[in-house]
Amino acid sequence: MTPDAPFAGRGVLVTGGSRGIGRAVVLAFARAGADVAFSFRQDRRSADAVARAVEELGRRAVVRQSDSADLEAAAGWVDEAARELGRLDCVVTSAGGTGSIGWEVPRAEEWTGLFRTHVVGPYATVRAAAPHLRRTKGSAVLVASIAGLLAYPEEIAYATVKAGTISLARSLAFALAPEVRVNAIAPGWVRTDLTRALYDDPRARGAIERAIPRGRWGEPEDIASGVLFLASDGARFITGETVAVDGGELLAWRIGLER
Amino acid sequence: MFDLTGRTILVTGGSRGIGRAIALELGAAGARVGVHYRERRESAEEVVARLHDRGVEAKAFAADVTEPDQVVRLLEAVGAWSGRLEGLVTSAGIYRGPTVDEVDAEEWQKVIRTDLEGSFWTVRSALPWLRKGDRPAVVTLSSILGAHAAIGGAAYQMAKAAIEQMTRALSLELAPGTRVNSVAPGFVRTDINRAGHEDPVFSAKVARATPLGRWGEPEDIAPAVRFLLSREADWVTGLVLGIDGGLPLR
Ligand SMILES: NC(=O)c1ccc[n+]([C@@H]2O[C@H](COP(=O)([O-])OP(=O)(O)OC[C@H]3O[C@@H](n4cnc5c(N)ncnc54)[C@H](OP(=O)(O)O)[C@@H]3O)[C@@H](O)[C@H]2O)c1
Ligand SMILES: NC(=O)c1ccc[n+]([C@@H]2O[C@H](COP(=O)([O-])OP(=O)(O)OC[C@H]3O[C@@H](n4cnc5c(N)ncnc54)[C@H](OP(=O)(O)O)[C@@H]3O)[C@@H](O)[C@H]2O)c1
Repeated sequence: MTPDAPFAGRGVLVTGGSRGIGRAVVLAFARAGADVAFSFRQDRRSADAVARAVEELGRRAVVRQSDSADLEAAAGWVDEAARELGRLDCVVTSAGGTGSIGWEVPRAEEWTGLFRTHVVGPYATVRAAAPHLRRTKGSAVLVASIAGLLAYPEEIAYATVKAGTISLARSLAFALAPEVRVNAIAPGWVRTDLTRALYDDPRARGAIERAIPRGRWGEPEDIASGVLFLASDGARFITGETVAVDGGELLAWRIGLER
Repeated sequence: MFDLTGRTILVTGGSRGIGRAIALELGAAGARVGVHYRERRESAEEVVARLHDRGVEAKAFAADVTEPDQVVRLLEAVGAWSGRLEGLVTSAGIYRGPTVDEVDAEEWQKVIRTDLEGSFWTVRSALPWLRKGDRPAVVTLSSILGAHAAIGGAAYQMAKAAIEQMTRALSLELAPGTRVNSVAPGFVRTDINRAGHEDPVFSAKVARATPLGRWGEPEDIAPAVRFLLSREADWVTGLVLGIDGGLPLR
């Protein structure tokens, strides 16, 4: 283990690794020396591009199409991926989006669809990975959202379900202790395809920027750094935590950031 | 990963316990480290010597943080040495555990002065140097007792709760330039709770109640502080990070 490659010789599994935050997590782990398995839902071209980037870093990439909203699918690829990697030290669940539904959610399927993607899928993935993680005394990091901690009626079902992701991390942390640590990371506004429409609208982009004490949108790499810390040996006494990486937005001071 | 080369960081209470482990970790990550202490000069010099052995620039500084004048002079001395600060860690602190019936005014004040007021005035006095630093960051020391209650030591718990709110207030006030975060350790084996971890019954109780099944060590806390002071944590501010083996989960 060299200081520059703290994850050398380790195996990591990431759901939703083809784009956005998941992609940044995959690449950060590969840069830190890990071999990485990751899933995507439909965008095979993006997934293949990420796999090539991992291989260019000299690491192994294992790519699988697997829908996080399907319990069997979410669990089904984990054993095989772990076998191909040889070992599993960390699982990161990042698959999914908001559904772009709004505050009127007329159909029950829209609620259940988001619940399946952000709660059932991560649960099934971590459960399937648990025997492998026990062996390595590894950890899991669930990507939640500060939407699960603040009011977010703009995507009411998403926000509610992300609160569930945070709760899931706590119960899993308790269930899998002492061998396996489980934490949640709660990103604020991050520049990805998921938020592109808002970022591309100068008014929305500016309004969001002004609500963030740090004065800028997050980049996927900001979130990946937090994930790598939580997965690292340095976080060996941290479990069941929810770590906001949000530029300070959770402080939620809306009266104005000017002095 | 989380490299601190080129960053100058002052650690208060760096002579012992958690602060000592933080000072050593930051040095190992490439930082130049100011090691503050109150009276145990030999302990502080030992930390400095270990850093020097690894080729790390370091220097010991004394001050009683209950005396705002001494804190001002401390930061003058540190500033004269380093010219700027990229980081500050406020780990100087004491614990006293009397119940509300037992506590007297002197003991109560000592805890509030050291833990709460000491932390505040240290941050305040460091600001001019932090503002000269590149992407500066502060890490305060809270405790699991800042948000979770125990019987005895109310003043300590109040001070730690206040430190968490200070962290949030200052992270907003000092944004966007200076980040401010806190770490909230659970039970960590140091001099501060030696009576506790040397008592086999209490020691076993803590280990049993902690999902990760053991006491924390100072070395369990230091890497989080390193992360929070790194350039990679550029978008993290206002965070109170629990490092407690899962103790408060239920
Ligand atoms: N961006 C933000 O501001 C923000 C803030 C807080 C939390 N988050 C959370 O961060 C995570 C990633 O978001 P992002 O912004 O990176 O989104 P993104 O850029 O849209 O990327 C989403 C990724 O997840 C995959 N995916 C989507 N649904 C899936 C499913 N059902 N099964 C498997 N994979 C699926 C996508 O695969 P394909 O490429 O195949 O579509 C893609 O790789 C999500 O959990 C999101 O809720 C994002
Ligand atoms: N250990 C734990 O379980 C635990 C848990 C949660 C939070 N914490 C917090 O972590 C921090 C460090 O605790 P620790 O366990 O490392 O304690 P420790 O081993 O007792 O070390 C205390 C340090 O603070 C310095 N100090 C004490 N009073 C001071 C004063 N008036 N002025 C200046 N410096 C002073 C001491 O300097 P000298 O060496 O010169 O005496 C020493 O360096 C504290 O804020 C504590 O509340 C500890």
